[in-house]
Amino acid sequence: MHPDLPVATDVDAAPVVDQATALLVRVADGDQRAFSELYDLMASRMLGLVRHVLKDHAQSEEVVQEVLLEVWQTASRFDPNKGKAVTWMLTMAHRRAIDRVRSAQASRDRDTKIGIRDLGREVDTVSESAEISIEHKRVEKAMARLSDLQRQAVELAYYGGYTQSEVAEMLNIPLGTVKTRLRDGLIRLRTELGVAS
Amino acid sequence: MSALSNDMLETAAAYALGALDADEAAAFESVLATSPELQREVESLREVSGMLGAATAPVAPSAGLKQSLMAQVAATPQLPREQAPAAPTEPTAAPSDAAAPSHAAAHRAPTLAAVSATPAAAPAPIPMSGLASEKANARWFSRPASLVAAAAAAVALFFGGVFAADLVNPAANDQQVLAQVVAAPDATVASSEVAGGATASLVSSESLGVSVMVFDGLDELSSDEAYALWYITGDEIAPAGLFTVDGSGEVVQVLDGEFVAGTVVGVTVEPADGSPQPTSEPIVAIATTEA
Repeated sequence: MHPDLPVATDVDAAPVVDQATALLVRVADGDQRAFSELYDLMASRMLGLVRHVLKDHAQSEEVVQEVLLEVWQTASRFDPNKGKAVTWMLTMAHRRAIDRVRSAQASRDRDTKIGIRDLGREVDTVSESAEISIEHKRVEKAMARLSDLQRQAVELAYYGGYTQSEVAEMLNIPLGTVKTRLRDGLIRLRTELGVAS
Repeated sequence: MSALSNDMLETAAAYALGALDADEAAAFESVLATSPELQREVESLREVSGMLGAATAPVAPSAGLKQSLMAQVAATPQLPREQAPAAPTEPTAAPSDAAAPSHAAAHRAPTLAAVSATPAAAPAPIPMSGLASEKANARWFSRPASLVAAAAAAVALFFGGVFAADLVNPAANDQQVLAQVVAAPDATVASSEVAGGATASLVSSESLGVSVMVFDGLDELSSDEAYALWYITGDEIAPAGLFTVDGSGEVVQVLDGEFVAGTVVGVTVEPADGSPQPTSEPIVAIATTEA
């Protein structure tokens, strides 16, 4: 009808986001059926993220189960005016995954070489995730706009689960430099992804 | 637009990416809780990191996972919706609070046990696996509007030329002063662990000449003792105020006197009416960098 109207790029992703938020609001009222639907919508995405960080499948399932139970318990604390349910749940899952990785530090080889090798694999995995193609392509495109150094820092921190101090140590650069790269990288992503600041 | 300092913005980004260690995150959250401006920034950055999370390839869980989770859900009570916002942070007057853990270590009770021990009717403390970060995450999504309004009012007060630290009720205003310092263009945060597992953060602004200590998990003292703050510059040690802590272990304390960048802030335990100079070893000392 109006061919020159701007095309909303996230039009396909929006329903999932809205659906999750609507379901979570119902879950807060004790609706177990809504929780079941929320599980179907989110469990594989949460597991994808957690396993990306943790690697071990069995441990990752444990983490997802813990987080989803926590979602059930604390759904009433979610405020739909302050963010999306998808973000809320993935943030919880990410946190639990990095906590697990860090507490298992002794058993996990986190030296520089392994870290860097892991990084290469992370990038491959991200670029293969065609299933959630809309979001994935947007993120991939946005990541490509970062400098190599920014991208490396963001990936080590977010997907690798390393703290900023660990990243500094691994790359043998000052902590302040890591902080700046993370900040600049994230701001660039925010702009590229069209998130309001 | 945002007038947050570079240090604040960098810490917010690292926080949103999960790149702070546990102590750094707990310290940042104490500060975050007081600054609506910083909260908005973190909210926006989290949306970005959430998209990074959503971009990983989905992995199908094994068939049994849903079944066992649904069984757990059927047997697990939920937190009630929060009552009308009254307390600025966690509820402190709830009957369940006596049993509530006040230290990070004590928070690590198993989730199920923590929940079932909580009377369903009480506005319960968040009984999650208890990492400070998760606690604040829950807090974050349910900020009482009143606190946000209070912090906004504090900023308005400051720009009206009245410095909140000089107002009549200092205890009520320390949070507001903290919000101002956090919002200062040269605000910096330095954190350190306190013996016994508590965390201490010093938020300071050279341009305002003000610094604020934020503690989490600090031990209660006997009634004849108090915590004392000191500004330490070279050999000179100037008293910067006394404070006590209740069972919550949470304290926001504005330091007396003018803050100068490069000063070290120390905390000691002293007799309740204070001492002219420290009489014990500091439980924590935080150095600041010269401007």
